[in-house]
Amino acid sequence: MFRQPIVKQTLNALFWLPIPIVLVQYFVTIKTINGRSMQPTLNPDSSKWRDVVLFDRFSIGTRGRWDREDIVALKSPIKPKTLLVKRIVALEGDIVKTLPPYPDTEVTIPPGHVWVEGDESFHTEDSNIFGPIPLALINAKLVYIVWPLDRSGPLRRPSLPVTKQGVPRGSIWRHEMAELERARSREARVTRAVRDPPRKMPL
Amino acid sequence: MSRYRPFSEALAGFRSITRPSVPAETRQAEALRSMKNFLHRLLTITRHPIRYAKPMLRRSFLNTRVRWVVFISKSWKDKGKIVGLMGLKFINYMSAVHLFYEHVGFVRVVSGPSMEPTLGVHGEYVIENRLSYQLCPESIARGDIVTLRSPLDPFRIVSKRVIGLAGDIICVDPTGTTAPSTEHVIVPKGHVWLMGDNAAMSRDSRLYGPVSTALIQGKFVARVSSA
Repeated sequence: MFRQPIVKQTLNALFWLPIPIVLVQYFVTIKTINGRSMQPTLNPDSSKWRDVVLFDRFSIGTRGRWDREDIVALKSPIKPKTLLVKRIVALEGDIVKTLPPYPDTEVTIPPGHVWVEGDESFHTEDSNIFGPIPLALINAKLVYIVWPLDRSGPLRRPSLPVTKQGVPRGSIWRHEMAELERARSREARVTRAVRDPPRKMPL
Repeated sequence: MSRYRPFSEALAGFRSITRPSVPAETRQAEALRSMKNFLHRLLTITRHPIRYAKPMLRRSFLNTRVRWVVFISKSWKDKGKIVGLMGLKFINYMSAVHLFYEHVGFVRVVSGPSMEPTLGVHGEYVIENRLSYQLCPESIARGDIVTLRSPLDPFRIVSKRVIGLAGDIICVDPTGTTAPSTEHVIVPKGHVWLMGDNAAMSRDSRLYGPVSTALIQGKFVARVSSA
């Protein structure tokens, strides 16, 4: 039976399966973004395709490096099987001014928790609905947009767009400026903790 | 039946060896025969393990010696290839073991004061079942001892007992030490209420509220021994 080539090949593939599974679970994953909760950063109306992005699991799951303004993938605290993609707005100890569906106007984030929000605040299921979420639910960080090609590239922090003298300010400049404005308005709602607690991770 | 094969049969076999173009068996029949052979071998080995293990072991030792000699005589490039493949196989094996621990479950050492009368402070070996919750998250029941990633520290795994499921009305603290004993909450959808058995030395839902089931990893099945 084991001399049959098909059986042999499948057994060989099964034998080498653990390494790719571990790579996907602990290092990098490629995923497709569904829904419009992260518009205009991901899945903007102008693109025909859904975004394909690269998630880095190592820096979250093993090294524990997360920060404000990171886009992360997390398990939904209400429906454990669904994966959400949101942006971290505040870390533990910060005080956040919340948006409408949340009962209180201001929240202090408890230890071990973060406040996550989608960029499109009207179509998102985020911390304004279920409150601060434990860090253990977060399992990956978005690092790279793979598809579509015109927006593909590593994810950058918004910075002040630069134009040459005399060149009229085009749509790209306006988009970048709007992104910066949104980042500023997010940061304006957060009062940072006096001192960020140091992370005592070996890596 | 006589003990000797008839001459004609031996001749037939001889002819088939010398001339491979005699009408061959079909592929399926060959596969069936090899499967039969394999099953037969398996059965004989399981019936007389020692009788069959001895020559197999001897053969394997011989094989390793022959392999070593072959390895020594190879060029550096081929040696590198062989060692690399061995390393890759080792990593593969380790990741398989890790995946089994993570998704199926195995023996785990538990220590700490929070589950005191049930699980000792100085460490106990407990069998953990991770498969059943992954296949069916609805099977979480009141009274289960579950393992979860701590809501306070994502790199810590703690064990607590499930007190209430989603929709239950829970008295936060009947003793009235951390909250007034009249305070009651409804456990929200997709959450559970957890408590340590040793209420005085436990940080649990009384401190951080209802816990999402997405944090829960597995449940304890049985205690093996105390460490």
